Amino acid sequence: MRRAAVIGVGVTKFGKHDRTSAELFAEAARDALADAELPPSAVQALYYGNVVGGETEKQLHTGPQAASVLGIPTVPTTRFEAACASSHAAFRHAVMEVAAGLSDVVLVGGAERVLNVSTAEATEYFAYASDAVWEQSVGLTFPGVFALIARAHMTKHGTTEEQMAHVAVKNHRHGALNPKAQFQKEITLEEVLASAYVADPLKLYDCCPFTDGGAAVVLVSEEIARRRRRAIWVLGSAAASDSMLMHDKRDLARVPATERAAAAAYRQAGLGPENVDVVELHDCFTIAEIVATEGLGLFEPGSGGIAAEKGWTSLGGKVPVNTSGGLKAKGHPIGATGAAQIVEVVTQLRGEAGPRQVEGARIGLTHTLGGNTATVLVSLFGRD
Amino acid sequence: MTEPLITLKNFFERARDGALTGVRCGKCGALAIPPKEFCESCHQRAWEPVALSGQGTIASYTIIRVAPARHAAEAPYAVAVVKLKEGVSLLGRIVDMPLDKLQVGLPVKFRPLVSKDQTTVGFGPA
Ligand SMILES: [Zn+2]
Repeated sequence: MRRAAVIGVGVTKFGKHDRTSAELFAEAARDALADAELPPSAVQALYYGNVVGGETEKQLHTGPQAASVLGIPTVPTTRFEAACASSHAAFRHAVMEVAAGLSDVVLVGGAERVLNVSTAEATEYFAYASDAVWEQSVGLTFPGVFALIARAHMTKHGTTEEQMAHVAVKNHRHGALNPKAQFQKEITLEEVLASAYVADPLKLYDCCPFTDGGAAVVLVSEEIARRRRRAIWVLGSAAASDSMLMHDKRDLARVPATERAAAAAYRQAGLGPENVDVVELHDCFTIAEIVATEGLGLFEPGSGGIAAEKGWTSLGGKVPVNTSGGLKAKGHPIGATGAAQIVEVVTQLRGEAGPRQVEGARIGLTHTLGGNTATVLVSLFGRD
Repeated sequence: MTEPLITLKNFFERARDGALTGVRCGKCGALAIPPKEFCESCHQRAWEPVALSGQGTIASYTIIRVAPARHAAEAPYAVAVVKLKEGVSLLGRIVDMPLDKLQVGLPVKFRPLVSKDQTTVGFGPA
């Protein structure tokens, strides 16, 4: 198997846009190609993530559509739908294509547009990632899934709403340092705790926003990467799945797919959680960050809430988590999120993250979770 | 005579009459809510239908206040994962119980929620 590396990254401003998801992706891809110092003609394949385009834009076949808008219509293109993990699933397959020697330059990314529909409509479309017969039918929502996890975690480990609020405060503090973030303002613990319940025990400020945006990365073979000074190597990339139904999950306070994907990625890289300097993980809800820090092995099971409260995951802490602001403050355009996390980690490992730079970061990890925790991807990155 | 396969359709037809049906693996004894082609524990295909009591306790719950478009008129409402007496869990809507009295461990009992064309899983007071 050949090694692969990321040599170009691009991401749009996250927030509300009056452009289609294909246009948003094309902007991010243009920036990623410029960053990689490669022309569009160098791209040999496009792996693309998009989730609810069929609903919000009445658009299927979004892969070739995005490629056409970018101006590379004849490039083989595959669209991935793995709920919120779509573009990270796309990335893993791109790594396999490069590693197998089939292509030397693969463009990976994703985009989503949802702020053109109402909150009730977007809530319904996001719930499509839960089971239609068993879960959508009784009105379970995406925040509802994580509320069930939060309640279980609180019951089993004594995690508190205040500890969860610390995650939101920290990610907004980080997001305030990221010009591409949807929310570039700090919030207080009191504001989080006083916000209205969306799905008890989760409040509005425990939840990531609805977001429009696009992200892209250029993945290349070792031969090309060796000629680039700022290449960031892919050290591991793994996927894991778990039961689709909430009622089939044996322990609601855990996300076993995170544990399995992390174990596989660490094994590929020959690394462990103690080696990781910077992490972008899937904080679609504050509790999701707490459970992910445990599942990735950064903290003991049940201690993720304490880690948040003590500031261990903050910039300057033991292991900075979500320096971009995370899904919570940077925003969560679901089809783009996995690629956007890679953009942040690559930026950190290059030492180009400005005021949010983790000094001396050499190893980075990205973790992306799909919908009801049935899909998780974990990738590890390193610089020379 | 072998029991017919438990499909989603006949699970909900039985549920509509108040009867919950699980399947037990004849090889390893694992209990599951259908449909499942293979047992996820031993990967055999030796299911036997079993009647479930419908009695259980709340394992986790949430109160949905921001609802999907098609459930918007029903909010706020509670959804819970209920651990049934037999050991298997089932997600459902909580009905006829005050939202502020819900807690983990509270006993509940299965109740089919029947609308004109659809049966869904509900739980009411034990
Ligand atoms: Zn079995």
